[in-house]
Amino acid sequence: MNFKINAEIAYTHVTSRMKQSIIAALGVAFGISMYVFINGLLKGSNDYFDKKALANLPEVRIFNDGNTNSLNKITNGISIQNPRQILDMIKKDSGVKAEAALVTSNIIYRNDSLQSIGTIYGVNILNEDKMFDIKSIMSKGKIEDLLKIKNSILIGSGIASKLNVNVNDKILVTSANGESIQMIVAGIFETGIKRLDRTKSYASISNVQYLLHQGSTYITEIDFNLKDLNKAPKYAEKYARLTGYSTEDWMSVNQTIGAGMAIRNDIALAMLITILIVAGFGIYNILNMTIYEKMKDIAILKATGFDKKDILQIFITEALMIGLSGGMAGIILGYIVSYCVSLIPVRLAHINNLPFDFHLMNFILGFLFGTITAFFAGYFPAKRASLVDPVQIIRS
Amino acid sequence: MESIILKANNITKYFNQPEPFQVLRGISIGINKGEFVSIIGKSGSGKTTLLYILATLDTMYTGNLEINGISLTGKDVNHLAKFRNKHVGFVFQFHYLLQDFSCLKNVMIPARKLNKYPIVEIEEKAYQLLTMLDIKEQALKPAGKLSGGQQQRVAIARALINEPAIIMTDEPTGNLDSKNSEAIGDIFKHLTREFGQTVIAVTHNTDFARNSDRVLEMLDGNIFN
Repeated sequence: MNFKINAEIAYTHVTSRMKQSIIAALGVAFGISMYVFINGLLKGSNDYFDKKALANLPEVRIFNDGNTNSLNKITNGISIQNPRQILDMIKKDSGVKAEAALVTSNIIYRNDSLQSIGTIYGVNILNEDKMFDIKSIMSKGKIEDLLKIKNSILIGSGIASKLNVNVNDKILVTSANGESIQMIVAGIFETGIKRLDRTKSYASISNVQYLLHQGSTYITEIDFNLKDLNKAPKYAEKYARLTGYSTEDWMSVNQTIGAGMAIRNDIALAMLITILIVAGFGIYNILNMTIYEKMKDIAILKATGFDKKDILQIFITEALMIGLSGGMAGIILGYIVSYCVSLIPVRLAHINNLPFDFHLMNFILGFLFGTITAFFAGYFPAKRASLVDPVQIIRS
Repeated sequence: MESIILKANNITKYFNQPEPFQVLRGISIGINKGEFVSIIGKSGSGKTTLLYILATLDTMYTGNLEINGISLTGKDVNHLAKFRNKHVGFVFQFHYLLQDFSCLKNVMIPARKLNKYPIVEIEEKAYQLLTMLDIKEQALKPAGKLSGGQQQRVAIARALINEPAIIMTDEPTGNLDSKNSEAIGDIFKHLTREFGQTVIAVTHNTDFARNSDRVLEMLDGNIFN
């Protein structure tokens, strides 16, 4: 085979029917751009909603539900006996992204005669921020103030409006066993989930330990997030085995979220296949037409010594020329369309603009799929061309 | 001293459609190097069928075919394609140039396929041939823009580019007026005389046939004469 002359013949065929070639390439380009656009939007909104849904949910929780099979003797209600040891173990785990220890208590918030019940989370706010990006949900105040101001608290926006308090106001926090602390509101956050905004607050671990009449080693829960959130069930199982405490992963707690993700991914895949088949037919069509028109060329090439492989190569090269240029145009067009649409303001709930996923992989895959489709769409007509009997054409 | 360049022995072929029919009835011929042979005969006498068998394009026959001392019967099609590229030049009735390419490129294609010489050398050779055939001025025009006689000259140049053992031609003058026909006949004659080229032509044109060294007349699948 002699690739150079075959490529030159393919190039001449494609360029001498420029109009049809461009139309076929446009078919591919539209297909690929739709793929890039829809996949970007689906993946972007998937990620966005998953992030929202999981924003306040640790991927894996370790806690003591009271009937543990731990070898550690339970002496202290529902606490975790050896939090330092477990935290060290988690910190060393290469699959873990962030971890936090916490202690929670049900409490009553009071401002004079106004009151509200809820749950206070005793946390190291910087670790908690690594887990849940608290900074992004702060509507007033700064999370660092929780460390700077003694006996301070971050409260949900629902609590703030119910108690009619603002940053730097004082509220009284009372636990079930009657212990109270006067606390300064250091900040107000809004998660977007009303139930949480009406009940949740953050304070230092020692404040909550004091409210519960417990010492400085008292920890009720250890949470951690993973580099790959899909591995959560595996990690939950692993740490249940290692620590002897109960564990929970986000998937088993929120099975609908996982199912929703899987279904949306299936929809995206079905859409991709449909789009590519349509684009593939465009190439198939144009190539079939070219071969029909170029029957004489094929006969003459075969008569002058081009073999089956040469003919196959010529027409597959033509398909790939159309496919590659269409694919290239497609990812550029897809990027432009995605970018323009991502600028349109929508203002739904907490979304300002449609969330898009602009990962390079999305574009590479679109291009790759387009090229593969072009190859197969070209292969069958090319195969037919390679089997043309030159005598039949020349004699007819 | 004459040497045999093509030897066919007992070539027999059947057509199965529309009904079984024996188109060639055991033809044996030998053709000498540098000979200009015409095959004439009525439509349906089998002359074109014989030519395509001799040219290795048609492989559905029984008998034996040798060109340049190489046996070609029963060889695989890709092998035969390579053989044609090197040893057989074609000129067809309807010129059969690649319409999207310039004349020069058309002439160069078989040599590009052979891939034995660098492109500049091939191009120079193609120009030489076009000059010899007196159509150098048309070299860069698209093949489709030329007249019938001019296209046939380009086709002859293409047939010659790889210096084949034999040129096979099917009704080379079938589409041309008498003046152009005569010119094409003279070119073939010139090629056999000056370059020792062998030419086998199937033709209806008796003037053209008369110009050749030997005339084989076919009737009902046999050569008589």
